[in-house]
Amino acid sequence: MVRPLVALGVAAVAVGFVAAVDRGVASALDPSETVVTLIGALGVVQGLRYANARRRRRREAAAPGDPERRAPAAVPGADLDERIERATGPARGGHRARRQVRERVRELAVATVARERNVSVEAAERLVETGDWTGDATAAAFLARSSSYPVRVRLRAMVTGRSRYEFGLRAVVDAIRRAEGERGAGGAEATPEADR
Amino acid sequence: MSRGRRSSAVDAGGAADSEESDDEGSDDEGGGDGEGSDDGPATTERVTRRGVETGRWDGIRGAALALVGVGVIARRPGLVLLGAVGVGYALYASVGEAPAATLDVTRTVSDATPEPGDEVTVAVRARNAGDAPVADLRLVDGVPPALEVVDGPARIATALRPGSAAAFEYAVRATRGEHEWEAVTAITRNPSGSRERTTAIEPADPARVVCTPELAAGGDLPLRGLTTRYHGRMPTDVGGAGVEFHATREYRRGDPLKRVDWNRRARTGELATVELREERAATVVLLIDARESAYAAPEPAAETAVEASVGAAGQAFRALLDGGDRVGIAALGPVDCWLAPGAGSAHAARGRDTLATDPALAPTPSGDRFYRSLWLRRFRRRLPADAQVLFFTPLVDDAAASIARRIDAHGHLVTALSPDVTAGETPGERLVGFERRERLRELRSAGIRAVEWDGESFPVAVARATNRWSP
Repeated sequence: MVRPLVALGVAAVAVGFVAAVDRGVASALDPSETVVTLIGALGVVQGLRYANARRRRRREAAAPGDPERRAPAAVPGADLDERIERATGPARGGHRARRQVRERVRELAVATVARERNVSVEAAERLVETGDWTGDATAAAFLARSSSYPVRVRLRAMVTGRSRYEFGLRAVVDAIRRAEGERGAGGAEATPEADR
Repeated sequence: MSRGRRSSAVDAGGAADSEESDDEGSDDEGGGDGEGSDDGPATTERVTRRGVETGRWDGIRGAALALVGVGVIARRPGLVLLGAVGVGYALYASVGEAPAATLDVTRTVSDATPEPGDEVTVAVRARNAGDAPVADLRLVDGVPPALEVVDGPARIATALRPGSAAAFEYAVRATRGEHEWEAVTAITRNPSGSRERTTAIEPADPARVVCTPELAAGGDLPLRGLTTRYHGRMPTDVGGAGVEFHATREYRRGDPLKRVDWNRRARTGELATVELREERAATVVLLIDARESAYAAPEPAAETAVEASVGAAGQAFRALLDGGDRVGIAALGPVDCWLAPGAGSAHAARGRDTLATDPALAPTPSGDRFYRSLWLRRFRRRLPADAQVLFFTPLVDDAAASIARRIDAHGHLVTALSPDVTAGETPGERLVGFERRERLRELRSAGIRAVEWDGESFPVAVARATNRWSP
């Protein structure tokens, strides 16, 4: 298919060059309005087709990067933030990410409740399950099976166009911090003495 | 030695102007291509990484043809002529190949053994050793990933005639570790920029900077009651010679007279001997977490936990050695690192070198895979039976805590020392911070001492934590 077209093109160009030199050949061609316009139209169509085909090609250039900067360190939690982003966003796989993040938060909440209220892990799990572990209804709803988000949060989620999950997650993080009582692990905690 | 000679040779060359070095070049390299000149000092290695069509002039032919067509239809000779200009550009774009970067590159650093924080000036000089001019040349230096350029960009854009040279300088701030420069990246293009070639050029003398911080003494370090049979500073529950009172017992023939309890003798008439608490030396291994996860910081540009750990380990190393204990160093990471416990000034120097330049504790992760059980087996085999472990780890994953417990379970007393590198901005960062604190609590409830420090200096944190501990 391509070969005859190429041959035709080469022949046409050859005739054109010859015509530029030899008047005899030029006079043999039909210089009528229609033929010239047709040739012009062919040129336009072919030119546009050519330009268009090239438009889609990617531009390549070497990217030497930024050797002047120090290699950036990883920030702990950045990967978790990415997963949260996926969980709250419309992307596919959001459901799985939501479940994973919720499980991770639940473990943390159970451990915190068990320690701070001095109850067994089973009892702490029940407290988290029923939502009685915190006074914040939004945080409770995030981890509880039965209770649902307060109307206020539902409205805010609807107005801002963000997911309720996001509000719930932020509330839970705040609730865990409150449950911990703002006290660092290096603070006034008793250290069991276990020298042997 | 060879470094000194080479840099002076480069200086001599650098002093010459480009015109002069024209002649010099043709004398030196004769062959033109310069592929490993016979015995010359500079055997620059060049590897072409890739050559591509940049596509910068894409579509110019189509546009020219369309213009000519429009000119023909409209019977406007001006437009046809304009199209001819486009054809000219299309021809220009297709002429010429991206020239090979036949450059001889030398790189010199002003100070090969700087102190941390010093500025080191790096001078790069590239000479066109080929026969063809390079119309468009960009050179980007391979600055080590852990060093930051503080003055000037580490790159240049220029054109080089055969034999002429270009030079540029920049300054980096030295940080702990052994830093080796990577290859210079040269990007050459043909005059129209339609073709491009990327070449990695390894200078004949790879620049290297070794930065070894002084070990600052970090006050007193809390150790636990596991000791060796050597005399030292750790109070034990063994009676004998010492300072602190321990117990009295019946006099036995041969006991030194000065330890006889004369008061008791006067009161009751019995002979008794005072036993004092023996003070012995401990064997300590400083274990530094250098897995990829430990290269973490609260901000991408901040100091990583490995840096904080190595700094603290340096203070601990000095303090323990000064206290008469035997200290060793190990790294928890994919690259093996083990300095057996020892004492003395030669050992102190070895320890300082290990902390500064051991590849296992490099300022950027090695990228190798880490096999935990293999590592643990090897570590346990090496660890002396009476050794206790000071474990420096950011505790940002469960593996670190479990390793601490496993070492503890094998009868070595473990103290976890944890720099806090968690940030508190986003929900994810805060959750990871909670999890880390949970791990610290779990370690403590498992009977492992834990100290964390954040912002404040390591000795202050240790002193604060020690107040809570009974001896």
